[in-house]
Amino acid sequence: MMRFVLSRLITAIPTLFLVSLAVFTLIRLIPGDPVSLMLGDNVDEQAYAAMSQQLGLDRPIAMQFLIWLKALFSGDLGHSITTGEAVLPLVLHRFGISAQLVLVAVAISTVIAVPLGMVAAWRQNSSFDLSVVVGATMLMSIPTFWMGLMLLLYFGLNLSWLPVIGYVSPAEDFWAGLIYLIMPVAALVLHETGILVRMVRSSTLDVLRLDYVTHARAKGLTEGEVLRHHVLRNAFGPTWTLLGLILGNLLGGVAVVETVFTIPGLGRLIVESIYGRDYPLLQGCLLFVAITYVVVNLIVDLCYPIFDPRVKSV
Amino acid sequence: MSSKKRFLLSTLPVLGMLCGIPAAAETLNVQITADIRSSRPGVNRDALSDSVALNVGEGLVAFGERGQIVPMLAEDWTVSDDGRVYTFTLREDRLFHNGAPLTAEIVKQSWEALMAAPDFTCNIYFNGNRGSAVERIEAPDARTVIFTLAEPDAMFLKNSAQSLCGGMAIMHADSFDGDGNWKGPVGTGPFVFDEWKRGQSIHLTKFAEYVPVGEGIDGYGGRKEVLVDDVNLIVTPDRATAVAALRSGDLDIVPYLSTSEAGELTENPNFQVHAAPHGGMITLLMQTADPVLSSTEMRHAIAKSLNIPELVDVATNGLGEANASLVPIGSVYHGEVQERAIDYAPEEVSALLKAAGYSGQELVIQTNRRNPINENVAVIAQSMLQAQGIRARIEVLEWATQLDRFRNGNFQLSAFNYSNRSDPALAYSAVVASKEDRGSAIWDDPEAIELVEKTFQTPDGEERQALFDALHELYLEQMPFVMLANNLDVSVSASYVQNYRTWNGFTRLWGVSLDR
Repeated sequence: MMRFVLSRLITAIPTLFLVSLAVFTLIRLIPGDPVSLMLGDNVDEQAYAAMSQQLGLDRPIAMQFLIWLKALFSGDLGHSITTGEAVLPLVLHRFGISAQLVLVAVAISTVIAVPLGMVAAWRQNSSFDLSVVVGATMLMSIPTFWMGLMLLLYFGLNLSWLPVIGYVSPAEDFWAGLIYLIMPVAALVLHETGILVRMVRSSTLDVLRLDYVTHARAKGLTEGEVLRHHVLRNAFGPTWTLLGLILGNLLGGVAVVETVFTIPGLGRLIVESIYGRDYPLLQGCLLFVAITYVVVNLIVDLCYPIFDPRVKSV
Repeated sequence: MSSKKRFLLSTLPVLGMLCGIPAAAETLNVQITADIRSSRPGVNRDALSDSVALNVGEGLVAFGERGQIVPMLAEDWTVSDDGRVYTFTLREDRLFHNGAPLTAEIVKQSWEALMAAPDFTCNIYFNGNRGSAVERIEAPDARTVIFTLAEPDAMFLKNSAQSLCGGMAIMHADSFDGDGNWKGPVGTGPFVFDEWKRGQSIHLTKFAEYVPVGEGIDGYGGRKEVLVDDVNLIVTPDRATAVAALRSGDLDIVPYLSTSEAGELTENPNFQVHAAPHGGMITLLMQTADPVLSSTEMRHAIAKSLNIPELVDVATNGLGEANASLVPIGSVYHGEVQERAIDYAPEEVSALLKAAGYSGQELVIQTNRRNPINENVAVIAQSMLQAQGIRARIEVLEWATQLDRFRNGNFQLSAFNYSNRSDPALAYSAVVASKEDRGSAIWDDPEAIELVEKTFQTPDGEERQALFDALHELYLEQMPFVMLANNLDVSVSASYVQNYRTWNGFTRLWGVSLDR
């Protein structure tokens, strides 16, 4: 097991290096730079040169990359050009906010989607199955920003049950924080549930057709026992993989949901750093996202044996 | 809400008073489209940071409503005959938010600290680059501050009152920690900078010891009476969310709204929409170094193809007003001469095109979607140009990309907005320069450059007016770009908000009250 973890971590190093190189280069290839944005239309070449020098942007790109890489090895991701804050604590803080939103949403989605998808597959072609498929397709087709706005308008504006803007950390005030999280979590849950239901239903259908399920039924097991003990574990494998991808993707920031619901998460930070051409911040954010993706998928791989004993033997 | 419920709710404050329960704090909730960059006036700033800084800090002087200089922390001042020495007398009753009284020594320290800051935006105005260098600052007694300039500079007061310089707000030494690092603003303004939750909100509280001066609200100066207990500036990047929050009562004021969104709310009795022009400029820039556009006839053909009043009306959803001059409509220098414009004359266009040697070359209009007015201008101008046989194509760019092209002069036509300039000389200096010296220069003409230089050296008065008149006549003759209108402050507030207006792009929070 230890060897597996180590090998996965070692293979992640070139991936992360390539990601950092790509991010570093690509952001600088886009027209516009932080100094131009800071000066706006109040252009003064002398001020531009002075500010570029102060930020180290007048050096060759290769040199800038090496300086950044050197600092990176000592755990220093630099400082945001926009706010002057240290990048690492800022990214960690914003990641914490996104993570609480995403983890809660994905957990709720899973709890809803797994039984729903399984029952839909078990009752294939019934009206229940049909409504689950139609509902799931609709949910996954609706963009999250639109879903978010509809929730805002209905529960925030029409019913006045929930606050339309603002954010309170649950660590500061648990109940107030919970209230502010309801709508963004709901927007994510609705969308992700649609995706997960489709996957659970599809993999359950595959498993239900296998011989050992027929054998289990022939042994006289009830349908509930067949589903719980024989179908669920085998059908959950592909869903678990998808969950890993969804988590990795969402933990990298849910920019749209965070923007609509004014949540100061990692996604909004990434978008702001792109618009502001905040190079150190964007590099730090994307490197962190890449690491998150690697770690989440590693954890997903390590958990496979729990659901599928065949993986353990391999 | 039923009338019974409404009645019960309306009696609650009275019952509260009778029972000795303190009245609930009057909190003003205001949208801010993005987080501020820093809390230090004039350092690592943008327009939103300036807006917060100017509610918290005050300089010696400030801009009044019509762009004139009005006293602020200085009661009055004198200028020496040679124009180099400015002597300010400070007001007696001013206190900092930490309770310390304002003294000349603190003014001196505050200016010196700001000018020494490496990322102070306005260094160019005080180091001899664009304005005269400040040679020395002296504090001979507690109420007198003397600034000695290296050479006479008629713009010294105006430069120091600029919003991008944070109005050169005087900050107490307690604004810094023991190591000299910026901690937070301790100013003399009507609001105290209480708390900044990065990415979320900024909380300002009423400065109870603040003594308002003057008769009425006057730009960044005048009477600054705070009529609420505190203000929450809530970061709300999404416009649709901000409008929903305004409707739900989570926000009381949305200070910057697009003209189209504001237009939708104009008829709604629950909201007040205010639109007013400021010193920013909505323009259609022309690259005079471009082979096609280097011809004056070609540029005149473009100008005469555009029905500017109609273009401005449509582009701003009926809220804007055409202005052919770089002198803002509200300025004391906007007179009869500035009213003159190149009239819409489609019948003259074909002759001008012929004289320019135009043979159907395609012109590209750059624009962005960050400011919907720019995009509207590009679309309407394209249609008007094509109607006169001038081929035009629109290229929509992300704002940073358009700004980069602007900085390098890499465009043919550009639907571009200049930010607010508090003095017409600053507006002219933004466009007039040698293209060799500055890639973003639009109007490269020796006569115009000389005239602009003079506006910087000439004190306010008739002589300065004559210079602005001459510049406008020259502009109409050469037509180096098309000035369309002044940019707009469009704000929306709930019907119970009294006296709020965004002024010159600035969220002015004093004088605002709530009447729920």
